[in-house]
Amino acid sequence: MAWDLFLWIISFVISLALVASVFYQVICLTDLEADHMNPFETSTCINRLVLPEFILQGSLCLLFLLTWHWFFFLVSLPVTCYHAMLYNKRRHLIDVTEVFRGIDFEKKLRFTKLGFYISLFILVVFRLTLSVVYSLTEDDDLFHLF
Amino acid sequence: MNTENRNFPARPPPSFSSSPFASAPPPGVPPQSVGPEAVGFRPPTRPFTPPGPPMAPPAGVMRPGQPPLVSQIPGSRPPGPPLPSFPSTAYGPPGGGGGSFQRFPTPPPPFPATQNPPPSGPSPPQTLAGHLSPPMSFRPQQPMGPPPPSMTSGLPGGFASPPGPGFQQSMPGGPQPSYPGYPSNQVLQGPPKPFQSPSQGPPSAVSSYPSQTGGFSQHPGQQNMHPSYAPPPTSNVQGLVEDFNSLSLSNIPGSLEPGLDHTSFPRPLDGDVEPSSFAEAHPMNCHSRYLRLTTSAIPNSQSLASRWHLPLGAVVCPLAEAPEGEEVPLIDFGSSGIIRCRRCRTYVNPYVTFTDSGRKWRCNICSMLNDVPGEYFSHLDATGRRMDMDQRPELTKGSVEIIAPTEYMVRPPMPPIYFFLIDVSFSATKSGMLEVATQTIKSCLDNLPGYPRTQIGFITYDSTLHFYNMKSSLSQPQMMVVSDLDDIFVPLPDDLLVNLSESRNVVEAFLDSLPLMFHDNVNVESAFGPALKAAYMVMNQLGGKLLIFQNSLPSLGVGRLKLRGDDPRVYGTDKEYTLRVAEDTFYKQMAADCTKFQIGINVYAFSDKYTDIASLGTLAKYTGGQVYYYPGFQSSIHGDKLRHELARDLTRETAWESVMRIRCGKGIRFSSYHGNFMLRSTDLLALPAVDCDKAYAMQLTLEETLLTTPTVYFQVALLYTASCGERRIRVHTAVAPVVTDLGEMYRQADTGSIVSVYSRLAIEKTLSSKLDDARNVIQQKIVKALREYRNLNAVQHRLGSRLIYPESLKFLPLYGLAIGKSTPLQGGPADASLDDRCAAGFTMMALPVKKLLKLLYPSLFRVDEWLLKPSADLDDLKDVVRRLPLAAESLDSRGLYIYDDGFRLVLWFGRMLSPDIAKNLLGSDFAAELSRVTLQEQENGMSKKLMRLIKKVRENDPSYHPMCFLVRQGEQPREGFLLLRHLIEDQMGGSTSYVDWILQLHRQIQQNA
Repeated sequence: MAWDLFLWIISFVISLALVASVFYQVICLTDLEADHMNPFETSTCINRLVLPEFILQGSLCLLFLLTWHWFFFLVSLPVTCYHAMLYNKRRHLIDVTEVFRGIDFEKKLRFTKLGFYISLFILVVFRLTLSVVYSLTEDDDLFHLF
Repeated sequence: MNTENRNFPARPPPSFSSSPFASAPPPGVPPQSVGPEAVGFRPPTRPFTPPGPPMAPPAGVMRPGQPPLVSQIPGSRPPGPPLPSFPSTAYGPPGGGGGSFQRFPTPPPPFPATQNPPPSGPSPPQTLAGHLSPPMSFRPQQPMGPPPPSMTSGLPGGFASPPGPGFQQSMPGGPQPSYPGYPSNQVLQGPPKPFQSPSQGPPSAVSSYPSQTGGFSQHPGQQNMHPSYAPPPTSNVQGLVEDFNSLSLSNIPGSLEPGLDHTSFPRPLDGDVEPSSFAEAHPMNCHSRYLRLTTSAIPNSQSLASRWHLPLGAVVCPLAEAPEGEEVPLIDFGSSGIIRCRRCRTYVNPYVTFTDSGRKWRCNICSMLNDVPGEYFSHLDATGRRMDMDQRPELTKGSVEIIAPTEYMVRPPMPPIYFFLIDVSFSATKSGMLEVATQTIKSCLDNLPGYPRTQIGFITYDSTLHFYNMKSSLSQPQMMVVSDLDDIFVPLPDDLLVNLSESRNVVEAFLDSLPLMFHDNVNVESAFGPALKAAYMVMNQLGGKLLIFQNSLPSLGVGRLKLRGDDPRVYGTDKEYTLRVAEDTFYKQMAADCTKFQIGINVYAFSDKYTDIASLGTLAKYTGGQVYYYPGFQSSIHGDKLRHELARDLTRETAWESVMRIRCGKGIRFSSYHGNFMLRSTDLLALPAVDCDKAYAMQLTLEETLLTTPTVYFQVALLYTASCGERRIRVHTAVAPVVTDLGEMYRQADTGSIVSVYSRLAIEKTLSSKLDDARNVIQQKIVKALREYRNLNAVQHRLGSRLIYPESLKFLPLYGLAIGKSTPLQGGPADASLDDRCAAGFTMMALPVKKLLKLLYPSLFRVDEWLLKPSADLDDLKDVVRRLPLAAESLDSRGLYIYDDGFRLVLWFGRMLSPDIAKNLLGSDFAAELSRVTLQEQENGMSKKLMRLIKKVRENDPSYHPMCFLVRQGEQPREGFLLLRHLIEDQMGGSTSYVDWILQLHRQIQQNA
């Protein structure tokens, strides 16, 4: 059970990081649209985060698979596949020269991802609390045994 | 206004004296006075155009005035119409509750009277169209029955146009009975003299109110194009003048009947004819060489815009060369600072209005009221015109150049900087490129703009990089070789870029010795990427122009490229487009970095093998530069071309570190931009180095569902550093009317501009999909546009199997065909090499409208007869150059023809051409195979004459140097390659001929029509 708790704590941290990263990217894009940022800064800021985000998300998905959490694995699988597809087509980075042409799509994509990560985060928090509660009650039980 | 009152005895004076003006134009629009040409005609109708509830006088007041009015109608109307019917139906008492609807049609009858004025004057009813036009559904209720012929022809176009806001408002609620009064007043006032004085009085700024050229007078026939009023009896067909052009096509699409006369198809043999009526109506707009709208009538609603399937936008060439005497005036605002709107940052322009006795001015774009600075203050005269108007070019001219103070600089204005990155590998020296380039640079040193601040620098490279220290204290340049390509460093960063006037001797010594130094270089590698990085490191302090001379595929270091055009399996698949975009992200990244530091890149490519222009050109594309491509460069053949084009590139006036923005009125927005530049923010184009040969296309979208202003203003502002070191702002302002009528949009369309936008869209499309798809997109767009136009006219006319199109778009189908056959888009993979395609694509993305149209439909003319004429001289090029349709049947085997697309001149010798001519022109080589012959001036009159003609053709447009090719009829495959394939009206390989294309369009237009 301690392992389970550990798993959920890791998932909690990762999904929080994902939410934060995508949120930051969305902010960069809106700043760009509002002319508070120039395309050069925006693309450096966002592109710096893209690969770490992909890796984190992928490892989270893998983690769910390895720990046999089918539901969570299936939930995060489509996003992992989409990321892999983007990476294979070399379209994962923002093209600094054509930022404005694709900005609507990029924003929509990131908003969708943000929503997805937030719901994942909520689910994870739920499971985390559950496992915390379980582990506590389990301790209690053990305590009571004695 | 008082004078107007005198003319309306029937009206209740107080309500009319001011309200029409107050309510009709939005604030900020000058009182609608009219250009001198409209005198006496427009003003009378103006005050009535926006009848709205507030100004409509109550019925009781109006009635008494009616009888006399009715009696006047016959007098001012052309004889014929059964007049009694009008008073009875139209002017009779309101018919019960439904009266408002029933009565609606009554306003039109008087209009025939206003038809009488000469067709030159701008017509009144544009705002009528906007405010008064009824919803379509009203028309069937028309109580009058089939009108007499003169009646039908007399209907104003504006009336039948889609519903406008103003009228609908007035319909339901307002005191309807007032309606009869309006028209009758108009009749009364038909051409009242008293109006002339007030309308002439207002200042010229006021006359800027767009005189709407729609409606009746300019196109006498067009009122008929609306599915309006009542279906005309067939017997009256002669009264229906067709407003559109048409091509009669055979009944069965596809079957080519002998009757199909393709010689009557429209061809732009007179070159690009710009619509002139619009420019004449708006004399204060900037000239069309700077800004060309795709249609000079902006739709007033999103729904109307969505029915306009053609692009809505503009092509801007901010620095276009002005002919002698029309230079853009230079203005210094001095201590008052540049006058700009506080809110929208619009520059002061001829369309702003001054109020409050000259203390305030109203911005024409956002209608904000701004203070006039004390230094700029001037009293207004009685008409509200500034006293000092004539001394202020910014208030009378659509194009001005303003000297910018230090607030417009982020750093001291940069000096003109030319940096050369020259490939000195084996092929560069062997082809003679190095020699020609260095000679040309040397000969241009005196003419580089910006003396004495101009700076210059060189890097050469093969498998290593060579830097040159040209410090003025040296007598000979010092060469430094860097061979570590992975970790580039710049030795002596301060002495690589030197002031030309100080180091002139060293630079000249360097240019003299450069070809000799690498004379026997056998290195075939090219470390292009590292060299580019090094150049970037040298230049990024100041920016400037980087000229790259590249002879082979970059093969070493970062940014090396693969031979990827070779794989035939990729062609025709979905992956094909990847060959047309940069392979390595290094290029895009470098381009972005260069733009950031104000470096503009021009690429000169010379290889006969694949050099991946797609990747190299990316550098030029995003830095506002251009690509020059000389496949298989040989100095003996291409030397002249390179010499001229490089010289032009170096010596033409260049605007440095510039940004461009185009502002437009509220409710519309420029949403996409097309051309060679990089977007710095959503609407700011970064152009590190821009010159007169670059144009940019942009497209508009309507942000609001309904535009309420009668006009829209556009203002292009280019902030740049001139070569002399001054920071300047070039401002072009234009106005365009807002219309409610699709037909009007078609009438005001500008084919050149539309084609320019389309070709850019098509080329962009090839970067993300197959060539076929790109061509289809253009075809579909044209089909949709013409189908909409057909639907617009189908109700009223029996179109049968005719292809109809507005006069303004008569060349659109042909140009559409030409876009599909242009080098970037033509045929399949075998029809043009990948590099050719990409180079042509990059070039076309930057071409100004006129040049593009010439490239799409080149001129072909016969010269042998003219050469034989002893007396004829070269006084007028137009007489000599009678352009022929671009079809093989234009070529007579006894003739000598010149084909000129602005980039190449092809001399085609007919097989039966008299040997004398050939001998005279070619000298002793006349019988040889022409691929080995170059045209040289011979010692005889005929040859001299021809050379003079060619020289003149080249001088006509100096931006490129067309190379001369000679070809004899039947010399395959050269003939096909040089000429036959470019005869775009013919069927070649898989492409369609002009006739088939028209039939194909026609068939598609009729489907679902």
